[in-house]
Amino acid sequence: MASKEELLQKMSDYVFEMEDEEISDVCEEYIEAGYDPLDGILHGLVDGMNRASDMYDQEEYFVTDLLLCSDAMYAGLDVLRPHLPEDASMGEQKKAVIGVVEGDTHDIGKNLVKIMMETAGFEMYDLGRDVPLDSFVEKAKEVDADLIMMSTLMTTTMPGMKEVIQKLKDQGIRDSVKVMVGGSPISMKYAEDIGADGYSRNAVEAVEVAKKLCGITD
Amino acid sequence: MITANERLIKILSGKKVDRPACICPGGMMNMVTKSLQDVCGVYLPEAHTDARMMADLAKAIVDEKCFENYGVPFCMTVEAEGLGAACTMGTQFFEPHVTGYAIDTVEDYGKLTPMDLESGRAKVTLDAIRILKAETSDYPIIGNVVGPVSVASSVCEPTRYYKQLRQKRELAHEYMQFVTDEIIRFAVAEVEAGADVIALSDPSGTGEILGPKFFDEYAVTYINQVVDAVRAAGAKIIVHICGQMKSVYDKVAKINSDAFSFDAVVSLREARNNLPGKAIMGNVSTFAIEMQDESTVEKLTRACYSNGSDIISPACGLGMGSELRNVQAVLRTVETFAE
Repeated sequence: MASKEELLQKMSDYVFEMEDEEISDVCEEYIEAGYDPLDGILHGLVDGMNRASDMYDQEEYFVTDLLLCSDAMYAGLDVLRPHLPEDASMGEQKKAVIGVVEGDTHDIGKNLVKIMMETAGFEMYDLGRDVPLDSFVEKAKEVDADLIMMSTLMTTTMPGMKEVIQKLKDQGIRDSVKVMVGGSPISMKYAEDIGADGYSRNAVEAVEVAKKLCGITD
Repeated sequence: MITANERLIKILSGKKVDRPACICPGGMMNMVTKSLQDVCGVYLPEAHTDARMMADLAKAIVDEKCFENYGVPFCMTVEAEGLGAACTMGTQFFEPHVTGYAIDTVEDYGKLTPMDLESGRAKVTLDAIRILKAETSDYPIIGNVVGPVSVASSVCEPTRYYKQLRQKRELAHEYMQFVTDEIIRFAVAEVEAGADVIALSDPSGTGEILGPKFFDEYAVTYINQVVDAVRAAGAKIIVHICGQMKSVYDKVAKINSDAFSFDAVVSLREARNNLPGKAIMGNVSTFAIEMQDESTVEKLTRACYSNGSDIISPACGLGMGSELRNVQAVLRTVETFAE
């Protein structure tokens, strides 16, 4: 029988190597052997996704690769999650609302950020794409979010981000939530000019910025 | 005296001219702002679906001394809508965009029907070009098309599509060929209607998204088919590449276009060194045009000139809120470069 370490390594490798079918079998085997499902998630699946992020940072993996790795990770999660005890938690999770601002429907980048944020343990509320500006504010209030993340790929829809920040001010909750922006036409300078708290160039960096803004240390 | 059209064509033919051209093609490189709509009294979204209005708004770009070209359409959705994607026409501030995909998987591409160039917005665009051809001279008419990966990922649900580029390569190539043949039909029809130059942008098919291998296999291969068809039809072609270039310079060099246009993140000097013998277009920050003042825009325009830009243009589409005087500052500065 395979040891716990061997199985964790396999789970990590299958995520890293984008094997979204074999991974279910190895997760089943792991559960049948009676090993801890939370360890499987954190030290198997998430570990593989983190290795994929490192490759992305080194420009060896690209957006399409990360999407496939995440498919494998989610396939594994589908097996492991039902075995988590009721009261198991991933620690105290920070909450983030994410969406593509009104006027734009390009959501590949946003989806990738969401995946990487979930991998890092954030609780994500995904509003989707072409999101009316008020929805960001309403959702953040409803779930008492720590963070709002907005993205757009189009120059013409960038001003919506500034409007959301203004709406947060108007409602008196600007100080209780951090705001991050991203997307190809966005720059650090733009983020500063509109009064956002953070900006990142890509999904991997987004997680680092988000952790810093939420006071999470590794 | 040399006309703006002659200047641009000469630049795109690799010949020397008195100064860089100053253009903004349209399509993804949007040049219609709220202030321009107010000045000429022709408004979006109506002008997206009316050839007369589309032509009039295109003319206003030249009349208001914004840029030295006419260009249509003003969005990136004509091909996708023609192939069955659901689109909204947007507002005065928002561009048209896709709201629903025609297919959820590449496997279903056989269900798509070819674009009808005799109806809908393909016809509006072609009619607008015919109007511009009949009523104007001296300035180049630019017909825009969307690049193969961007059309493909606007018609098919993109997360699935990108994954299938790796997992179902044979099928993905069949789908890309179908999409590319449609883009070629539209581009050639634009040339036949009177377009002097075709501009192609493929923002969803970047090196950053696809990585060098798949950028080469999918973006370069199919963009070149469009390039070759446009040249055979007798027009020049500009290809705008979005995003960082470092990982894909050698792949971009394989694209046979007459000019390359780049995003603000790209150093034109570096691009010139990596792409010898090509006309280089770019790249005044659209962020500066929208958020900063005339003197900053002027400074950035001068920087493009000293970095060797052959065609000075915004680096991306203009934000709708850009002030007319900031937009005009680009051309006004370029005019001072005449030898």
